[in-house]
Amino acid sequence: MELIDLVEEKIIRIPLESKDKPDVLRELVQILKDAGKIDDFDKVLKAVQDREDKKSTGIEKGIAVPHAKTDAVSSLKLAIGLAPHGIDFDSTDGEPSKLFFLLIAPPGLAGPHVEALAEIAKLTSSQSFCRTLVNANNAQEVVELMKGE
Amino acid sequence: MSSPIKKIMVYIDGTEQSVTAAQYAICLASFSGAELIAHYVINTKAVEDLLRANIFLKEEQVEYEHDMEADADRYLNYVNELALKKGISIEKKRGRGNVHKEIINAVNAEKVDLLVMGELSRIRSRRDEFYDEAERAMRAAPCSVLIVKDDERVWEMYQALV
Repeated sequence: MELIDLVEEKIIRIPLESKDKPDVLRELVQILKDAGKIDDFDKVLKAVQDREDKKSTGIEKGIAVPHAKTDAVSSLKLAIGLAPHGIDFDSTDGEPSKLFFLLIAPPGLAGPHVEALAEIAKLTSSQSFCRTLVNANNAQEVVELMKGE
Repeated sequence: MSSPIKKIMVYIDGTEQSVTAAQYAICLASFSGAELIAHYVINTKAVEDLLRANIFLKEEQVEYEHDMEADADRYLNYVNELALKKGISIEKKRGRGNVHKEIINAVNAEKVDLLVMGELSRIRSRRDEFYDEAERAMRAAPCSVLIVKDDERVWEMYQALV
């Protein structure tokens, strides 16, 4: 399964309501819960928080890619959140994060997990794409942008 | 006239499509008497890209590469079992690095006549065309390439093989 196959309207939230990093992580995991993608909210959240505790996944230019491996899922799960005004996520460049891609994978799917993360890295390396994405008005636009890129 | 196909390589990447390709390749090897190689490439290039992009930590690089090696062994062993059930011997090969380059290197090194691959992902953008590793391998391969489709039909063919 490719990254693009994971993109659907119900896993996208615009705008994120959170104001800080812990709340963003909770809100992203809640998107998966609300979309029926996960059962065990606490286990998934803990896996994501444990990874963030090692080092922030807030990378440069307003992008954050929180991710984790946990047996609470049996296949790759993606949630996308947009925060046009930016949220402090302890990013490496100190800039607030505006585009959030949460990716959760089960153990035993290392290859697809790595390839999906690499796909996100490639997508977000285009500044014009990120600018367009962060200004999307609704989930449908995000889906169209992701699938059309 | 002897079979023009002496050596077949099937590319395995852990997808269902690649397992179907392996079933087809086993049938082909049985019909043609060709040698069969199953090749899995651990995508360490993608892991390095993630490290460079600050998405991965060094410890994650090590952990994921270890996990991918285990995946490679698991899938190669599975394909080996599929072949053995039909009396076909298979040479298992594991590469590391840039996937499409490793496939091409292996095809050249082993003097492969036919590369067998699972059904490719649908190309949805120009980016896919540039970056999809299987697509690039198919285009760059110096030998004939066979793309296997229709998993149910292939399964029936594999099952019918004695």
